[in-house]
Amino acid sequence: MLIINCPYCGPRDQSEFSNGGEAHVKRPDGSKEIGDREWGEYVFIRANPKGLFYERWVHTHGCRKWFNCVRDTSTDEILVTYKLDEKKPNLNNFKSVVKTPSGEPEVGSGNFTVEK
Amino acid sequence: MKSINLKENQFIQFHQKISFKFDGVKYFGYKGDTIASALLRNNINLVGRSFKYHRPRGIYTCGIEEPNALVQIISEYSEPNTRATIKKIYEGMEIESQNRWPSLENDFGSINNLFSPIFTAGFYYKTFMGPHKKFWKNLYEPLIRRAAGLGKPPKDFKGISNHIHHNVDVTIIGGGLNGLLAAKSFINSNYDVLLIEFEEQLGGIINNSNKISLIDNKEPKDWLKETIQEIEESKNVKILKNTLVTTYNYINHLIAIEDRFVGYKPIEGKVNSTLHKIRTGHTILCNGHIERFLSFQNNDLPGIMLSSSFEKYMCRYGLAPSKEPVIFSNNSNSNSLVYSLIKAGLKPKAYIDSRSGKEIEPNLFDLIRRNDVPLYTNSQIKGAFGNKKIEKILVEDSSGALNEVKCDCLCLSGGINPDVHLFTQSKGLLDWDERDLTYKPSKPFQPTITLGSASGQFNFDNLNSDVNEKLKTFKVKNLDVKLELNTNTKYNIEKLWEVSPQKKSLWAKSFIDLQNDVTTKDIRQAITEGFDRIEHLKRYTTNSMGTDQGKISSINALGIVSDLLDKKVNEVGTTIYRPPYAPLSFSAIAGRNCYEFYDPERKSPIHNWHLKNGAIFENVGQWKRPWYFQINKDESMHDAIQRESINVRENAGILDGSTLGKIEIKGEDALEFMNLIYTNSFTKMKQGSARYALMLGEDGMVKDDGIICKISDQHFIATTTTGGAATVLGCMEEYAQTEWPNLKVFMNSITEQYATFNISGPKTREIMKKAFPNIKFSNEEFPFMTFQFHEFNGIPIRILRASFTGELGYEIYIPSNSAPKIWDNIQSVGKEFGLAPYGTEAMHLLRAEKGYIIVGQDTDGSITPIDLGLSWMIGKSKKDFLGKRSLTRSDTIREDRKQLVGIIPSNKADKLEEGQHIILDKEIKSPVPMLGHITSCYYSSTLGHDFALAIIKNGHSMIGTKAYASTSSMSTTGVDIVKPVFYDEDNKRLVS
Repeated sequence: MLIINCPYCGPRDQSEFSNGGEAHVKRPDGSKEIGDREWGEYVFIRANPKGLFYERWVHTHGCRKWFNCVRDTSTDEILVTYKLDEKKPNLNNFKSVVKTPSGEPEVGSGNFTVEK
Repeated sequence: MKSINLKENQFIQFHQKISFKFDGVKYFGYKGDTIASALLRNNINLVGRSFKYHRPRGIYTCGIEEPNALVQIISEYSEPNTRATIKKIYEGMEIESQNRWPSLENDFGSINNLFSPIFTAGFYYKTFMGPHKKFWKNLYEPLIRRAAGLGKPPKDFKGISNHIHHNVDVTIIGGGLNGLLAAKSFINSNYDVLLIEFEEQLGGIINNSNKISLIDNKEPKDWLKETIQEIEESKNVKILKNTLVTTYNYINHLIAIEDRFVGYKPIEGKVNSTLHKIRTGHTILCNGHIERFLSFQNNDLPGIMLSSSFEKYMCRYGLAPSKEPVIFSNNSNSNSLVYSLIKAGLKPKAYIDSRSGKEIEPNLFDLIRRNDVPLYTNSQIKGAFGNKKIEKILVEDSSGALNEVKCDCLCLSGGINPDVHLFTQSKGLLDWDERDLTYKPSKPFQPTITLGSASGQFNFDNLNSDVNEKLKTFKVKNLDVKLELNTNTKYNIEKLWEVSPQKKSLWAKSFIDLQNDVTTKDIRQAITEGFDRIEHLKRYTTNSMGTDQGKISSINALGIVSDLLDKKVNEVGTTIYRPPYAPLSFSAIAGRNCYEFYDPERKSPIHNWHLKNGAIFENVGQWKRPWYFQINKDESMHDAIQRESINVRENAGILDGSTLGKIEIKGEDALEFMNLIYTNSFTKMKQGSARYALMLGEDGMVKDDGIICKISDQHFIATTTTGGAATVLGCMEEYAQTEWPNLKVFMNSITEQYATFNISGPKTREIMKKAFPNIKFSNEEFPFMTFQFHEFNGIPIRILRASFTGELGYEIYIPSNSAPKIWDNIQSVGKEFGLAPYGTEAMHLLRAEKGYIIVGQDTDGSITPIDLGLSWMIGKSKKDFLGKRSLTRSDTIREDRKQLVGIIPSNKADKLEEGQHIILDKEIKSPVPMLGHITSCYYSSTLGHDFALAIIKNGHSMIGTKAYASTSSMSTTGVDIVKPVFYDEDNKRLVS
């Protein structure tokens, strides 16, 4: 469980929020010709990285506003939240904060208790 | 084992006697006693039978690490597996021992002990395989389940738990010496601090042992009192007692359980535990250490306990479990027990140390010499013997000779481990300390600080500098506490994990996990069979998989394995300690989210009328909707539904549709927004008219449907399905904010604000005229799919002419508060026309006769409007709407998609079943190509036979052909595939 800092209401319990998947996925403009591939990627394809991830959340049981955040999917830490019309932060800014669970390989289960 | 009472202290009052029952016999203890200390006081040490071999077991420890002494508390909803070493007694408490039959003394299952050589690791997997799979389910498993296991689950558990949330800067876990020092440094700082102690009293080692003689030149007791007072008086430090932190999650999220009835019987109906959910900036772990045991032959006999536990019984409970225990140790931690015994005027029967005379602390040596305690150095205990209790031990001395020593109690110390469970739960890494022979916290993963013995500091030398250094980041005041000790300070240990028995076969009596009955033989066997990875070995032998998670033994197992594999312990690694630290009851986790609070119930404003008029309800999402109305108790559901539906077709019926989702959309750009959300085009629609509309997902699949009323280009009211209301509103809000923030539009749910009545049937117009005499209902003045606002007796109402039954119908929208009045009025004027209420099931039947779909029943998230034959609803000239582009994807324009059709049995007397497959062959011969399935199926009195809606492959072009429907009795029924409309195909009844 996390504390999420709603850009409108301030820090609130995770149970008030809903996750909306990857952020900054642009909906193709319907008034123009859209190729099958372009549309298919918009509808079906989302990134699922281990590590830093731009993500959408909505304050469902609060102000009902959508906003974006940067979450580290390996630690669940939410590093920053920002409004939809704000510029997305550069992920390089967070390099020093980010770490995979200590001793854990970059990809894997993280089931180690003793440093190898 | 004969115990004696020592002096009274602040924790135990000898004048306050408490009576309790153990296995039906009445005993007395004192206020402050745990079940274990009270039983020991009554010289009872046999308290249970073991999990697998039914061996007699006693009290091994004095705390939460207890593997053996688990009891069932009969007087508390029969709560099983309660640790006797932490549960306090109260007047009238009833306790039962576990896993024995017919009695603890004479347990039938102990026959397993004789066969223990064959009940080794993997025994069940290997043995109970044949001759048939059914044997396991019907014979072996029930038998084994009866014989093995711990307590019995309670039948009627009524525990109530509350949840409390905390949001603090610093959480200190453990109120022992280091926890108190840490809390003291934070006094009156700017940090919000939570100090959590599992026991009733703060103090830890100060209360539990005689290690410390003076603190700041004061008696430890007095220093403790002053310090606690200082902390209690501070504004920023909150103390939680009787609270155990069980879980350390990511992002410094802790879960702790507080026992609200320590030393009292829980009162029924009162909250008996509190689950604390704590979010904290920093966590300071001061949860101390746990002593481990040693393995040798019969190291599980009642009468054997850990040496620090013996000392705790003396210091905390004023009780020496035995007058002359034998002490067996490989380290310096048991020094203080010798000191405590002699201080209390008692004397160890013998002191056996695996270390050589040179390594043993000089002042311990002196103490033992001065008091004539028989001393065995360089010696080991080969085995313990006795009938249901320890009677003698066999000591192998430094010369290799075997000496028999008679005794009634044996105190073990195999070294101490920092309590690293919470630290590893937090994903911190451990490192093996070759000098102290234990895993110690090394790299924290979260903002976690470990202090004192929890960090592996087993000496008190660096107490001040350690705390000051680690709390430096907080810039709190520095400590300068002066400690004086009674015993030697340097922790010293020699490697000893187990003592080899006299015969090889006796490894099977040398236990490594007392709770799960795992022996050192099992470990050897697992390695021989190739399970030499520690995680495999754990699962194969079940070592440390009991409810105690091997707190006193898991490190020993690692030591034994590393010796057997000739590897370093660090290379062997350790298994992962998982939350919870100690068992947590489901009722504590559930909190108040159970019974009537599990999920809210939503009721329409007419609910009370339904109750009085024989409604049988069905759950639709959270709503309670009348399913059908019983006119008398003997009326079956089938009869009720047919009666209700015929009445709608012949006279008129009224349905409470208040649960339908209603959303109001307003704003300058409302029209454009609605055009983008729904498939239909609303641009040319006249004000005051309504339209049946579909909403798609971006994948082009039907997500919801409803009727849209256009009040103006800037104002719409949409209805949604009962279950889809929240999703539809959420979807509208999402797109308004994320994709089209340029549109000026607002939307709000008005579901609860308005009740909806759907009246339909040929006589509806007469009823409406009579109920609302000032409104004109003629076809010309009130045409199909239009709506009007009116006032009736001062109540604003909206009437929409629409129908979901295929008959002439009106929907009336009324503010919820006024709804019952108007409902009653319609009932009374409608009587003469035969108006009767109908429920959701008749509504489903009527709409299916007409071929109207229900989203979620006739569609399943893979059906497009084209598949439903609803292409006419797509505003093809519109540039864009949700899912528009998907309707021309190669997959959605396939000809052989599953499409909606009607099904009627070729022989009208045949029955159809919902969910059955439509196939082409009469014979069912696998593999059977499946075309699709029946989504809705009813018997219709109007038609006189069964009929169904189905989605089948290439269905539209199959209309007019024959096929077969499977049945639940594995046969087939011949069916005709027809258009999905069975009644009034040209809508005459609807529009006239």
